[in-house]
Amino acid sequence: MRPFSYIVPRTLSEASIAAKKPGALLKAAGIDVVDRMKERKHDATELVSLLPLKDRLATIASDGLGVRIGALATLAQIADSKDLANAAFAALRESAGIAATPQVRNRATAAGNVLQLARCWYLRSSDLQCLHGRDGTSCLAMVGDNRYHSVLGYLDCVRVHPSNLAPALLALGCDYSTELAGKTTRRPLRDLFPTEPKAEADEHTLLPGEILTAFHVPPQPMGARSAYRESREKLSFDWATTAAAARVVIEGGVIKEASLVLGAVAPVPLDRPDAAKMLVGEKPSDELFVRAAQRAFVDARPLSHNGYKPQVGMAVVREVLHAVTR
Amino acid sequence: MNSRDRTPPEKELKVGFGSLIETRTFEVPAGDAPPWDATTKLSVVGSDADRADGRDKASGRAKYTHDIAFPGMLQAAILRAPIARGLLQNLDLEKARSMPGVAAVIALKEVGKRVRFVGDEIAAVAAPTLDLCRDALEAIVAEYAQEGHTVDFLFADGAPVLDEQGDITDPWPDAGEELTAAFAKAKTTVTGTYRTEVQTHASMESHGAVAKWTDADLDVYMSTQATFGVRGELSQAMRAAGLQCKSVTIHAEFVGGGFGSKFTAGAEGRAVALLAHAANAPVKLVLNRFEEHTCTGNRPAALMQFRAAVDEQGAIIAWDQRSWGGCGHNGQGGGIAIPDHLLAKAARRRERAHQDLATDADPARPMRAPAHPQGFFGAELCIDELAAAAGIDPLALRKQNDAQPLRLQQYELGAERFGWEQARAAAAEAKQDQHARYLRGVGCASARWGNLGNDGRGRGDGPGHGAVCRIHQDGSVEARSGAQDVGTGFKSVLTNLTAEELGIRAEQVRATAGHTTDPSGPAAGGSTTTASLAPVIRHAAFLCKQELAKKAAEHLGVAADSIVFAAGRLSAGDTSMSFGDACKLIGPNPIEMRGERFPNYKGKVFERGVCGAQFAEVEVDTWTGIVRVLRMLAIQDCGIVVAQKPAESQVLGAMIQGIGFALHEQRILDRQSGRMLNGDFLRYKVPGALDVPPMEVIMQSVANGHSNCSAAGLGEAPTCASAAAIANAVFHAIGHPVRRLPITPDKVLAALHQRGGK
Ligand SMILES: Cc1cc2nc3c(=O)[nH]c(=O)nc-3n(C[C@H](O)[C@H](O)[C@H](O)COP(=O)(O)OP(=O)(O)OC[C@H]3O[C@@H](n4cnc5c(N)ncnc54)[C@H](O)[C@@H]3O)c2cc1C
Repeated sequence: MRPFSYIVPRTLSEASIAAKKPGALLKAAGIDVVDRMKERKHDATELVSLLPLKDRLATIASDGLGVRIGALATLAQIADSKDLANAAFAALRESAGIAATPQVRNRATAAGNVLQLARCWYLRSSDLQCLHGRDGTSCLAMVGDNRYHSVLGYLDCVRVHPSNLAPALLALGCDYSTELAGKTTRRPLRDLFPTEPKAEADEHTLLPGEILTAFHVPPQPMGARSAYRESREKLSFDWATTAAAARVVIEGGVIKEASLVLGAVAPVPLDRPDAAKMLVGEKPSDELFVRAAQRAFVDARPLSHNGYKPQVGMAVVREVLHAVTR
Repeated sequence: MNSRDRTPPEKELKVGFGSLIETRTFEVPAGDAPPWDATTKLSVVGSDADRADGRDKASGRAKYTHDIAFPGMLQAAILRAPIARGLLQNLDLEKARSMPGVAAVIALKEVGKRVRFVGDEIAAVAAPTLDLCRDALEAIVAEYAQEGHTVDFLFADGAPVLDEQGDITDPWPDAGEELTAAFAKAKTTVTGTYRTEVQTHASMESHGAVAKWTDADLDVYMSTQATFGVRGELSQAMRAAGLQCKSVTIHAEFVGGGFGSKFTAGAEGRAVALLAHAANAPVKLVLNRFEEHTCTGNRPAALMQFRAAVDEQGAIIAWDQRSWGGCGHNGQGGGIAIPDHLLAKAARRRERAHQDLATDADPARPMRAPAHPQGFFGAELCIDELAAAAGIDPLALRKQNDAQPLRLQQYELGAERFGWEQARAAAAEAKQDQHARYLRGVGCASARWGNLGNDGRGRGDGPGHGAVCRIHQDGSVEARSGAQDVGTGFKSVLTNLTAEELGIRAEQVRATAGHTTDPSGPAAGGSTTTASLAPVIRHAAFLCKQELAKKAAEHLGVAADSIVFAAGRLSAGDTSMSFGDACKLIGPNPIEMRGERFPNYKGKVFERGVCGAQFAEVEVDTWTGIVRVLRMLAIQDCGIVVAQKPAESQVLGAMIQGIGFALHEQRILDRQSGRMLNGDFLRYKVPGALDVPPMEVIMQSVANGHSNCSAAGLGEAPTCASAAAIANAVFHAIGHPVRRLPITPDKVLAALHQRGGK
């Protein structure tokens, strides 16, 4: 790590002003940030810690029927939260509860998880220069070993979005709030991710100094349920190779509403409204789920080393749909 | 007169195990402790005494090389080549040298020399902090003339052509008359191409050392498997560098694993000693995880083709093989070893058909049972394919062909304990359901290693390996060896044998290992440490016992040779005294004796090595292609089991490594840059806690008759079988073999597809 100043803000606006400076970087628990700095992949001149604001930013609380998840709530808090005990929120508990390892989950924050840098082994290497971040001239993964990379929705950079939590939050139709120099904004979560996830686009759309403060899970109607499933080669200390979060509302045995979001298969968490639409008005059945899964991957474009991923991804969609309608 | 010059008396010993026990005659050297055999009743040896240093390790009190620190100690780091092949054209260290705080900068490669892989050592620096070291590395100017490279051995010169399925297309070379005739007679013949990837040692503690000079005396604290080997290597290197070096002392009290990667001091070991000299301060150099994965050796890749045949009666009558090793830049170390004990009835090719292929990558080093896991995987899977093609149960085929009586018993016991028949039948029945998402399979494989230790005398006839036992006046007992405990449990070997001989509890003995100021032992490799040193350790305690008996005899008024040491007491007829009271007779100078390693006994030993059999049950998710191991069983002998818990732990570790080799582990090199892409523990996947299923280990204590305590080695043997058993279970589950490790989802889905298409 190179020398840097460590900023301990007392208020959100102090943090925001400090983080706005060129060369400044926000740190929540630091699991991702500190790794990048140690590897000299990222040199911050000022590191702005958000942890002093934990009192206000780390609570999970019901407001009305919805739930507000503070940006600094840990994955472990989410997994165990009483406010998220309802079957409608299961996707959040499940996605947080199986990420990483217990040690990581006890520290990792919700915001840090959603905003973490992609895990691409070319992009993360301090010795290689790739198109991402305009370090190099081409996407090394596109022509190299891309067994864990994108099969959908990529343009010139085939990284995948690594967050467990993001697909679940999106499937539930969450909003997020930010603070930028004293100004609070609330937007739908999909706005947090670039619509054109090109190499030069950041993993997210936050402006310099803009601090994510909370996720807002909207109130859920009777009969709402959600689920999260992922494929991973190891059961602990591993990343998803594909992931899916689903939310449905079931009335009288018929699916009335549905949403489906994929993780780990594209540079952003990928909403699949067409596949979800196929479910609406139907009774749950394996045959239906298989068709929906196929639809979710209909435009898949596997790379040289990840031809297996669409099939695995379809299996995970099929499984999450079974889980959410069980 | 030297004890070795006396004519050794002959002695009858009961050797073997269970129903296989028989009486054989051995020449037992005079002066050695009286040998144990299958009838000896032992109380500490083989008991479930805790690992000698278990508490120290679990509590963090144990100080590994990484924990060693001295006042004024500097850190160090190595500049490594970013290219896989080329020439070092220019190396300018001046800017780094002139940086404030940088204490020493040395070149590790001369300008004009070849760069052989990404990570090849170029230069090293020492400075007060690691960050300053990294700044200094960045200030070094190194220029290269880059050349084209090959990191995939299948594209190396001499690699055979593979078809789309990964099968070798070249016809077999002429097999000779006998083998050709055997194949012609066969009822069923199968053939297949098998492949394994590069596995790294992935020790918990990376390579590293702290070097500290006191005038011309050099102390090195090093994570090593060969304290005496690296001592010689370093003193030679210091002399070659023109340094005044009076003595080199190695300290390796605790070592966090090595698995064959730590036999030499390596460039990093030499660098840290030179840096400490140049900086005139203690220097610490430990490799980071990326360096550990990419620069400290590995188990090389293997490409193997087998063909095998059975006759009407189920005898394996023909076996043919050819193989290629996917090696590093030196093109060495890629051979394979297969379970020859299953092929005793088979005609074989006369000349060895193996070729090592060089790539521009980090060279192979020995890794736990070198050559075996890869060869056993391919051969044992081929044998299961043969069984399936011939309609024979794979365990029955093994029982019919295995040449080793002990293993035949292990198959029987294993089948019963594992519920082989029921589990095989249940898996087959579940497969009838066309819609079942999960498939189950059950497989087995054999394990083998041959080593009964050595006396350390080598070619000359100088003093061999030794060990020291000390009994102090206060009743404390020390057992000491200069050989290292790499985590295998060697300290328990020291405590248990000493306690057994002195009739006291294991906790009463303090073991010290890994300082070259104590008597020598072999490098911890090839399962030789326990087999070589257990008889010496026992002999040292035996000599101390005789000395203590003399003192007690005077006190008790009995003959020294009538005193029996047991249950913490020294007894002769009706009179006795406690061990503690006897020690009070010792005086200020402890009883200190050095044991001698007598040559292995002459005679027909029960087994020239050790045997094992392993069983695995797996579940295959047909939707995602993910394989999970559900349970495993290992039955294993290691001669007489000296320390039960560490022995079981060795076998468990082998099985866990086997799961990694079978399902997850592979070094992935980027073809374009030659760099390892998964040089960490996130993408280089070793099994985690949740990936380890319930595992049972049954240790069999076998008296071989080769030494006073019949201890044989254990590290390697169980490593042979685990991946093979898992691959066989996957074959059973799918009904189609996955002939390439690791068995990742893409390969499983392809196998399921091929099975469906059949
Ligand atoms: C062994 C291991 C396994 C893992 N496995 C998984 C897994 O299976 N699934 C998974 O999803 N993750 C996994 N992770 C990643 C881990 O979950 C993330 O690194 C962690 O959630 C990051 O949270 P943090 O609070 O430490 O973020 P930090 O490292 O502090 O920050 C991450 C990024 O977010 C920015 N940031 C953080 N908070 C804010 C905020 N409030 N406003 C604006 N920007 C902000 C930072 O600037 C930084 O760029 C794994 C990590 C490890 C070490």
